[in-house]
Order: sequence, then C-alpha cells, then structure tokens
Amino acid sequence: MKEEALKVIESVLSQGRTAMVEYEAKQVLKAYGLPVPNEKLAKTLDEALKYAEEIGYPVALKLMSPQILHKSDAKVVMLNIKSPEELKQKWEEIHENAKKYRPDAEILGVLVAPMLRPGREIIIGVTEDPQFGHAIMFGLGGIFVEVLKDVTFRIIPITERDARKMIKEIKSYPILAGARGEEPADIDAIVDLLLKVSQLVDELRDYIKEMDLNPVFVYEKGKGAVVVDARIILKEPKEKKPEVSSEYKERCA
Amino acid sequence: MAEKIVEEMKPFFDPKAVAIIGATNKKGKVGNVIFENFKMNKERGVFKGNIYPVNPKLDEIDGYKVYHSVEELPDDTDLAVISIPAPFVPDTMRQIAKKGIKAVIIITGGFGELGEEGKKLEREILEIARENGIRVIGPNCVGVYVPDTGVDTVFLPESKMDRPESGPIAFVSQSGAFAAAMLDWAAGAGIGIGKMVSYGNKLDVDDADLMDYFIHDDSINVVTFYIEGVKDGRKFIEAAKRITKVKPVIALKSGRTEYGAKAASSHTGSLAGADTIYDAVFKQTGIIRAEDFEHMFDLAKAFAQLVHKLPKGDRIGIITDGGGAGVMASDAVAKFGLKMADLSEETVKFLKEKFPPHAVVGNPTDVVGDTDAERYRLALEAFTKDPNVDAILVIVLFQVPLLEEEKVIDIIADYQKKSDKPIVAVAMGGKKTDRYARMLEEKGVPVYPTPERGVRALAGLVRYAQYREKAKE
Repeated sequence: MKEEALKVIESVLSQGRTAMVEYEAKQVLKAYGLPVPNEKLAKTLDEALKYAEEIGYPVALKLMSPQILHKSDAKVVMLNIKSPEELKQKWEEIHENAKKYRPDAEILGVLVAPMLRPGREIIIGVTEDPQFGHAIMFGLGGIFVEVLKDVTFRIIPITERDARKMIKEIKSYPILAGARGEEPADIDAIVDLLLKVSQLVDELRDYIKEMDLNPVFVYEKGKGAVVVDARIILKEPKEKKPEVSSEYKERCA
Repeated sequence: MAEKIVEEMKPFFDPKAVAIIGATNKKGKVGNVIFENFKMNKERGVFKGNIYPVNPKLDEIDGYKVYHSVEELPDDTDLAVISIPAPFVPDTMRQIAKKGIKAVIIITGGFGELGEEGKKLEREILEIARENGIRVIGPNCVGVYVPDTGVDTVFLPESKMDRPESGPIAFVSQSGAFAAAMLDWAAGAGIGIGKMVSYGNKLDVDDADLMDYFIHDDSINVVTFYIEGVKDGRKFIEAAKRITKVKPVIALKSGRTEYGAKAASSHTGSLAGADTIYDAVFKQTGIIRAEDFEHMFDLAKAFAQLVHKLPKGDRIGIITDGGGAGVMASDAVAKFGLKMADLSEETVKFLKEKFPPHAVVGNPTDVVGDTDAERYRLALEAFTKDPNVDAILVIVLFQVPLLEEEKVIDIIADYQKKSDKPIVAVAMGGKKTDRYARMLEEKGVPVYPTPERGVRALAGLVRYAQYREKAKE
C-alpha cells in the first residue's frame, strides 16, 4: 500500500510540484483501498473516446492540470456526456476553457469518469497542526461545511470508536441517520473511509500536508461510498520531519 | 517509567532539604518571601525538611545559617529553588549538577519569554539538566505549593494571598499570576488543593510529566490544568490517555479564538483553528474541557469527592423543596444531555404512602415548603434504592421554616456515605445558606449555588464515567 502510494508521491515531487492533481490524489487513495470511481486518464481524444466506450455513457470529463486546482472555477469539468459526438465537442471546449483560465497551464490529460449516482455528500479532510500533528476532519458537504462549519476533528491516528463518535457528533448527523423517512446512509462505509484515511496519513505523515476528499458520495446502508473528488498537498521535501523524537520513544518505552 | 517519574518528582513535593538560592533578608524580595514561607511552615511543624539559604554576601538570616555557595551545602540537599537573575543561573546549575542535586525550581524570569538571549540561557540550562539527570520546573514561574508537606515557593506573601487547605485536587498552571490568584480564590471558596504546580516556560517538566506523576499520587483524585499551549503534542496525548484511564483531568484552555486568517489552501486547513484541534485532543484523550474558571472548579469539586463512585448511567433523580428550582434543574438535565430518571413503582408507592398529600411524588420529587428533614430522608432512602436512578441532585432551600438545617445536612451526608450513587447538592441563598453549604461540603457532598451548575457538574461525572467504561474495552 505504502510503496504504491510513495511511487505516485515521488513522481509528483520529482516534477517539482507539491500539489497533486485529482488523478494522482486518487491513485494514492486507491493504493490504500479507498473507493474511487473507475476512471481513466486520457492523453488524446482517441483515448478519451475509447475509455468512454469502456466505461459506458454517460461520462464526465475533468481536465487535469497542476496549475488549475479549482477545476469548477476554470470550467474544466463537463458532466453527463451522452455520446461520442458530444464528447468530441466537450473535449475542445474543455481545452479552450483551460487556456482562457491559465494560458500557461500544463495539461496532464483529461480524466474520463463514469457519471455517479448522487448520494449524501460528505467531506473528509486532513490538515497538520504545528503542536499535535495531522488532524482528520469530517463533515457533511456543501453548505454544512461552507456556511455552517458543522465539522469535527480528531488527531491521527484514530480508532474505530473515534470514527463513530465523529460521525455522531456533527449537528447534521440526523441527515445521515435518515431523517424524514429517508433511508439511513452507509455509516459503516464512512467509518471505513475515516480509518483508511487515518492509516494513509499516519504512514505517509512525512509527506502529506493537507488533503480534501470533497465530495464523497455516501449511499444507503450497505451500498457503500465513493470519493468523487480529491486533493492532496504534499510537504516541501525539506519539511520532512521524523515523527517522534528518539528521546520521547525511550521515555515511553 | 512509572517509578522513575515518581522518584524524579518526589523532591519537588517533599524534599529532605531545600536550598534557597538567592535567599535574602530584604523583606518583600522574592528570595525573602520564599525563605519566609519555608521557615513559617517549619515553625508550624508542616515542613519537616531542612532549610538552607544560599547567598554569598550573608552569614545568617533570621537565625538560619546562610551558605555562601552551592558547593558548601550539606549533602542531604535534594531541592534547589533559584531566584537569582537569569544570567547567573547557568553557572549555578553547573554547581548544582556537581553537587548532585536532582530537582530545581527556577523562579526567575527573563528567559525565553524575552527573546533570543533568554532562549540561549534556557538551552544552556536544559543541556546541563539533561546531562546530569536534573529535573527543572520553570523558569519564570511561581513553582510549587503543597500544603501537606509545607513546600511553598509562591513568592506572594501570606499577608497578601491566602493559601488553600489541602484537598484531593491538583492544579497545574502555565501562568504564575493565574496560579496565585487561583490559590487565593480556592482558599476563600473552601476548595482544598493538594498540589499546585506552576511551570512557567516549561523548560523541562511539562504537562505530560505531571500527568504521568499524578497517576501515581494517591492523595490526588482529580487534576486540573490551565493551559495556554502545548509544546510536544504527541507526548501530551500519550500521557493524557494514560492518566484519564485512572483519574479525571479537567482542562481550561485559553485562546479560544481561531489562528486568524491563516492562508490555508484547503477547506480543512481553513476550518482547523487551534481551538478546534484542542477540542479534538481533549475528546480523544478523555480530558474534560472546562468552559471557564467556574466550570473547572465546579467539576473539580465533584470529582474530588465522588471519583470513587462515578454514576453507572445518565439517569438523574431530583429532590427539591422548591418547585421552581426543580424545574430549573430538569431543564438543565436536558440541556447537558442527561436523562430524567423514570422512578420505579416501588419508589412512587413508598413515597406516596409516607408523604402528606400536598407533596409531589415524581421526578422531580418536591418535598415542598413545609418540609422537615425527615421528608428528605424518605426521598433519599427511596431514590438511592431505586434501580432506575443513577445519580441524585438534591436541592435544599434552607430558608423554609420547618427544616432543621443540621439534621438535613447529616441525612444527605449519611446517604452519600451509604449509597454507591453519587449525590450532589444545590443550595441557593445568601450568607446563611453559604454557611450550611460549607458544612455539607465538609461532610463530602459537593454543593452548588444554582441548579444549573449542579447538573453541569453531574454531567461531567456522567461523561467521564462513560469514557472510563469505554476505555476499558
């Protein structure tokens, strides 16, 4: 798991970058068994057409560029593409938009992704605190994070009990539990996600600075969850620190 | 490790002999107040160790022989309290190392808090300490106060600041001024403090060390912290997890506002203010976060008395002699996430038989304004036996005319002793009530001035009991 993720990380760092594009971030997540959609990075239009055929229409296109991290601001995400003709047209459009937004944008490719059935949106994040190290955040997506700031944090690594408490302690928990006759969401899938993110960051703490899985679609109980979009910011290579001083390890032994 | 920290900390709290480096006969000077504290406690028979003032320019202070250097000190010296100017401290530390003294409290300020020059001095001191196995409290602190052993390095004289009596609460504070004010206040409020440590710049001994020490200190039931910041977060978390499995820790963390406009590139980064992270740390480690000073001591008081009989659940039974106070308490039960106990049929039947018809049997049970102490006894008898009640809040408005105050105090204290359910009391009123409240507290029942504060303290007990239960898994 760690080795595969490290390969991706080292490749990004070797290009002099610390911000991963969505595709790269998802490769890291995938290495740790997090549920990511079956999507492929197309370098050419022909590849894109081929992948769309394999995945099955409708598909989504997302342009990957290290210079464009806020993809929707740059209008480089195209959803619900129903046919090869439409794909060709959107392919042109997406590249034009990228050029308009950042003429110097380096384009790594276009992600061809299946259109996902919408679920309840959650966000999982990671940030590093100067005193306590990496912390994991959980909240419902959209206005619950943006406006209401209804989120909760724990220091990594977390236990399953921490994960379950986090989910329950946000104010919007009833939305997941199944308010107004809605079916309850797959809480176990969220717990699994939180634990996997915790493990990933715990093992890669020397490399990872920040991370956002936003949004993650969570489906009904037993139906799982899927990471729709992800960002990872790496530390500057010189920022790498040993996790615990040897003196402390001795004292705890 | 356990024994090591106990061994290391012992001279701070119970030294065989204390050297007061910078002791002077000039009244009001730090080196004089500290010397006077020890001397006074020695005369009272509380401090049992030897007192060795150190000052190159004096031969005698108040009949005590003054040593001219650390080198000359008798060999039983195991604690050095330093109050000489910062630039002279490293040299003194070297002499202390040579002498083999392993515990040092540096009261002096003018170190890291003043900038680079001071930080350099601190590094020098730390190096000497680490190389020689010396533990250091401070610098820039008021040090240690232990009423049981008479250790008192608080350089605010008794004429200006009252000292609390001993009790099972430990208080740890980064800020010296806050620690001093708190001791003074605790003395006034009748709250016993077993050990106070103010560590200032935390050069060496820090929160984690103290938590590890307090695990083994049987005289302490609950540890309270006033925290401004933590240096080694991971060490703090590990130590906190260890102690909260054994005894409760309450923290008052200042600086609740966010880091400010930290340019964060992610959602998460922008939402993670320092305070959010502390919240997370406290939840994860079982530390109970106090909202404010008052809350901290309300909780500490409850834990000090009741840590050995934590509630088994969250169902609260309320007994009152005033309807309004009962309603306020019931509201607070909901507000703090507790449940009102559903009284058993036996309880209801028993009380209905014994009570006059105008008393209200239920939860709350209202013994009403013409109550005597006996009605409280009956209610407590039924509530403590009721399997549906996990903890009891008993509200006593001492103002009602027929209530025999001392009798009701004895009854509540008696049930506190007999029953395995925790009982907290609420007494609202003025000077007269305060006197009775104090009497009740002396008999082991924590008393609060409002129903809300009483219930909030109970909620702390319930939450900690739940944490302990889960931590066992």
